[in-house]
Amino acid sequence: MEVRIIMGRHSIMNILVCVKQVPDLERIVVTHDAHGMASLALSDSFAMNRFDEFAVEQAVSIKESMAGVHIDVITVGPERSVQILKRAIGMGCNDGVHLATAANADPGPATVAAWIAQFARSGEYDLMLCGVMSEDSMCGQVGPMAAALLGLPYSTQVMGMKISPDLADVSIEREIEGGARELVDIPLPALLALQPGINRPRYPALSNMLRANRHVFKTIPTDTLETMGVQVDCIGLAKPPHTRAAQVITGSPLEKAEQMAALLKAKALI
Amino acid sequence: MKQNPASGPSAEDTMIDPVEIMLVAGCQKGRVDPEIYDLIAFGQRLQSMGAQSIGTQGIRAQSIGTGTMGVWILGDDVGPAAQDVARRTGVQVIAVQGKGLSGYLNETFRAVISREMEAVQPAFVCAGHTSRGWEWAPALAASTGAACVCGVDGLVESRGRICFQRDVYGGKAKGLYASSAATTIITVQPGVFKFDPPAKLPPPAPEILKKTTRLVSRTRFLGLKQGEADTSHMSSAPIIVAVGNGIGDQKNMELIHRLAKLLPRAEVAGTRIICDRGWLGYNRQVGVTGASVSPKLYLACGISGASQHVMGMRGAKFVIAINTDPLAPMFNEADICIVEDMIHFIPLLEDACARLAGNAEQDFVDSKTLRR
Repeated sequence: MEVRIIMGRHSIMNILVCVKQVPDLERIVVTHDAHGMASLALSDSFAMNRFDEFAVEQAVSIKESMAGVHIDVITVGPERSVQILKRAIGMGCNDGVHLATAANADPGPATVAAWIAQFARSGEYDLMLCGVMSEDSMCGQVGPMAAALLGLPYSTQVMGMKISPDLADVSIEREIEGGARELVDIPLPALLALQPGINRPRYPALSNMLRANRHVFKTIPTDTLETMGVQVDCIGLAKPPHTRAAQVITGSPLEKAEQMAALLKAKALI
Repeated sequence: MKQNPASGPSAEDTMIDPVEIMLVAGCQKGRVDPEIYDLIAFGQRLQSMGAQSIGTQGIRAQSIGTGTMGVWILGDDVGPAAQDVARRTGVQVIAVQGKGLSGYLNETFRAVISREMEAVQPAFVCAGHTSRGWEWAPALAASTGAACVCGVDGLVESRGRICFQRDVYGGKAKGLYASSAATTIITVQPGVFKFDPPAKLPPPAPEILKKTTRLVSRTRFLGLKQGEADTSHMSSAPIIVAVGNGIGDQKNMELIHRLAKLLPRAEVAGTRIICDRGWLGYNRQVGVTGASVSPKLYLACGISGASQHVMGMRGAKFVIAINTDPLAPMFNEADICIVEDMIHFIPLLEDACARLAGNAEQDFVDSKTLRR
C-alpha cells in the first residue's frame, strides 16, 4: 500500500464520483403536436440524479470504513450544476470539480465520458463510481464509455461490493434479470456503475453543508477540453404510444371512485 | 450475391455481400439468450426500412437491404444451439466459442466482438438491452469509435432518416436518434420486436464455428448467485395492487394493504424504489430485476411507469392506473386511467366498493385520517 500525493493531499485511496444534475421529472410539462412530436418544458427545479446519490453514499461509506480515503466529485453541466457538488460535499465528499458547459448545452454521453476521462487522467484515482443511468436522458453510457477511454476494467448494475484489504481488487455482485447476481472480481483501479438499492443515501449533514456553501470548486470550462466521441443526433421527441385502451375516467373524485367500483363489480372482482 | 445490374457478371462473382447488420447473443450452458429472436425481428425491420429509404441515408445505410444480416453467438459450447437458431430463422450464424467465454464478462465479450467487427465492418451491431448488452455496448462503442444508442424500442423514419426511438425523461417522451457514423452499436429492448417464423424458410446458411483462444481478462467471473427473493407468489396472483413513488410516505402503505384486502386473492407489489426504501420486500418487486407478472387485474397506484417496471407487468390482462400526473407513462400502459392522488382516491374507492358490496355500514373512518 503506497501513500500518494494527489492534488497536494496524502491518501491511500482516491475515489472519483461522477454526478449529474437533472430536472424534476414530475414537474416537466410535455406538449404534443398533431404530428405526434413532443416538446418539453422544464421547471426551474433541479436535483442530483437519484441514481448518483447511491454512488456518493457508497464513496462516503468507504471513506468512513478506513483511514486515508479522499473523495472528489465531478459533474458536467451549466453553472447551476454546482448545487449538486455542494450536496455531495454535504454528504461527505472532500472536493468537487465542475466541468462547465453553456446553459443549454446537451453534450451527449460520448462527449461527457471523454471530458470526464480527460480530467480523470490528471488524478490517480483507484476507484470511479457513478449511477447506473441518469433520470433524464436514461442512456447509462457515460460510466462504461469513460472506463473504456481510460482503459479501466468496469462493471455496471453493481448491487454489492467489497474492496480487498490490500486495496488490490474489488469483489462485486451485479444484479441481472429476475434478481440473480453475477459475482465478479475486478482489479483496481476500476469504475463501477451502482444499482439503486445498494445502500441508503444519507441526507447532507448541516455542518458539511455550511462548509460546502463556502467551498470554492475547481471549474474547468469544457470549451478548453478536447471534444471527442462519436455522437448520435437527437432528431426530436415523440409522444409515447398507447399500448392499451387508455380510457380516461372523468368526473368528480367521488364519481370516479364509483365508476371504478362498478367496473370492479362488473368484472366480479368485489 | 449482390444483385447489381450495373456491374458485369465477373465482378459480381468476386463480390462478397456487405454485412450490414450483426446481432450479438451469448450462450450459457447450451442456451442462447432468448432475446436473439427479438433481435432478428429488429434486424429484419431495420433492413426493410433501409431498403425503402435508399438515397436519403448516408453511404453505408444506402446498402441496407442488399447487404446481409448475421448473428454472432458467444459462449463456451455454442454448436448445437447455434444450429438451432440458424434452422429456426434462416439467418447466418457465426458461433464464437472459447473457454474464456464460459461465464459472461464485458471484457471478454468486447474483445471478441471488436475482433469480429474489424473483420466484417458492419454498419450496425445490435444486442439485447439487458444487464449484459447494456454493460458492454457503450464501452465497445467508445473504444472502436462507433456511435451508440441504448434501450431502443422503436424504429421510425423522420426527416428522411432512420431514427432509433427510446425512452427519455422517465418515459414521458420518446427520443428519436439518428446516426451518421460508419458503425452504430444498438441495444434493443427485449419483448418489443416479435419474430414471426416465416411459413417457408430458406435453407439455413451453414453456421460457421470459430474457436477463440488466448482471451486474456483482468476481471474474473466467479459464478452466478440466484436471487434471494422468492417471487413465485406474485407470478400466480390473479390480482396485483402495485404501488410506486406516488405513495409519498411509508405511513400511507397501509392504504395499499387495505385495498389489496378488499380484492380477492390480491397480492401487494411495488416498484423498485419502494423496495429499495424497504417499504416492501424485494420478493414483491415487479420489473426487470424482480418478478414478471400476468394477473387478471393490475392496479397501478402512484406508479410513474418507467420501462424497467413496465417490462415486468406487460402480461397483465387488464390494467387500471391511478396517478396525479396526467402525463405519467403508466397511463400509456393502462386500460383505465384515473387522474387522482391515490392517497385521497383509495379511501373513496373503498367506500364505493363497500356500498356496492352492500356493507356500507363498515367503518372506514380510519381511512380518512391517512393523509400525506
